[in-house]
Amino acid sequence: MQVAGLKTPMGEEFVLIFYAAVFGVAAGVPVLIIPKIIALKKPSVAKLATFEAGQVPTGESRVRLMMQYYAYLLMFVVFDVISMFLFAWAVAFAGLGLSSALVIAGFLAIILIAMGYALYLAGKRELW
Amino acid sequence: MSEPTDFEEFLKRVVTIVFWILLIVPIIVLPLLFFGSEILQALQLLVNANSIFILINKAQNPFLAFELMDSLGQGPCIATATYQPSAGCNPTFFRIVIFPGFTFVALLTLWLGWFERKLAAKVHMRYGPLYAGRISGVLQPIADILKLLGKELIIPAKADKPFFIAVPLLTMGISAALLTLIPLSERVYVVPPASASLGLLVLFAVLGFYPIIILMGAWASSNKFSFIGGLRALHQLVSYEIPWFLAVLGVVVLTSSLDPFQIVRAQSKIWFIVPQFIAAFVFLTATLAELERIPFDLPEADTEIVFGWLTEYGGMFWGILFGLSPFIKLYVFSGLFTILFLGGWLGPAFLPPEIWFILKTFVVITVIMFSRVFNPRIRIDLLIRVGWVYLILLAVINLFIAVGLKAFGVL
Repeated sequence: MQVAGLKTPMGEEFVLIFYAAVFGVAAGVPVLIIPKIIALKKPSVAKLATFEAGQVPTGESRVRLMMQYYAYLLMFVVFDVISMFLFAWAVAFAGLGLSSALVIAGFLAIILIAMGYALYLAGKRELW
Repeated sequence: MSEPTDFEEFLKRVVTIVFWILLIVPIIVLPLLFFGSEILQALQLLVNANSIFILINKAQNPFLAFELMDSLGQGPCIATATYQPSAGCNPTFFRIVIFPGFTFVALLTLWLGWFERKLAAKVHMRYGPLYAGRISGVLQPIADILKLLGKELIIPAKADKPFFIAVPLLTMGISAALLTLIPLSERVYVVPPASASLGLLVLFAVLGFYPIIILMGAWASSNKFSFIGGLRALHQLVSYEIPWFLAVLGVVVLTSSLDPFQIVRAQSKIWFIVPQFIAAFVFLTATLAELERIPFDLPEADTEIVFGWLTEYGGMFWGILFGLSPFIKLYVFSGLFTILFLGGWLGPAFLPPEIWFILKTFVVITVIMFSRVFNPRIRIDLLIRVGWVYLILLAVINLFIAVGLKAFGVL
């Protein structure tokens, strides 16, 4: 079976995007060099200090924060990959027929139940 | 040793500029002296009466104007006797750098910044930019850029210098990379149709770098406000990525393709915003969150955490990170909405397809900008709940609508 969207090899595409990214970085360099040359430089202790709303900065800047929404980050790691599986099915769906949709419906049901339970636990803030 | 006075600083700057001129001018002037005759010959070939006539003819006709833009990329090949692009010509560099790529969109976004300020001002019954340029301050963006170029680049003493400087540069790189994946029409593109078969997946992959870069900037700034803003950005971008993917999934089911060209071709009968209106709504909401725009501007909430993860970035750093990159991202997301739901460059034949694409994208941009004007900011727990519960449920319902439409042959 020939899947319409997936027949060409891709290498060229990646190379083009890589070129573009390199160009973007290169285009950023002169934009930062021009101010370096023409701007007046008068550094002072107050100017180089960490900004804390006008106060004298106190303590470490890299504080340990309470990650009360950490559970959502964990969920993302799992469900992002799963949502990519769905793309593989979606491209091939026209050739696979309705029966594949039933399989995917079961798959989605399992995922959504798991996601619901994870959301229930993530909502309990005292756990995190 | 006393502090250097302003006059000494001024002298120093003048000497620096003279030094750079002395360094750069020979690189340009000496080749001109040595190879002047060859360059003149090439110019004479280009500035031939015949070629000028062709150029003027093309520039007057809007249909041929875009062809002309594209043919400019063939550079030296145009200057041959036939004025026809030969097989060896490669317009890739021109496409990435100038026309459908970076420079074109950068100029567009320059103007979009002015447009947004003016639009918000009209709704709020203010004046907005008024003085630079005769017509309601159209030259304000240029004045802003000149001002930013003259500002000192301040890097805080406690910051990680290499990473702090790398963040604006990497943001520019990713913005330029994203633009390669948004074609303007069947003939104006960067990634050619033959190899664009996984276009959407590659776009997702490139977009995946944004949260990493934001967190890098937040950590390198070594500032409490920056770090809180960076964490907020991470949570927000991550929470809205899955509904965003699932909204695209419906369109992929209908077209059996991840290729932007094929997706647009499939909409010749009906735009997908009609059968996929739920997906369009989910996509637009998730887009607002991914762009960090009001009502989802928690990462940059200026009434709460100064300026979020951008707090320590000033001068031209700020110009890149807040003036250029978000508007390029806005253009990319709006262009993607146009391709997925509004039929891309399809439209009546009295305008060229590229103009149709830009017009539709502009309408989407205006809708996104309007949401900024009259919305408050929402709370972070509500934001995450909305993303994970309601938008994902809507997207799944929409997926089954798409499956039904495809399976029973409606579309």
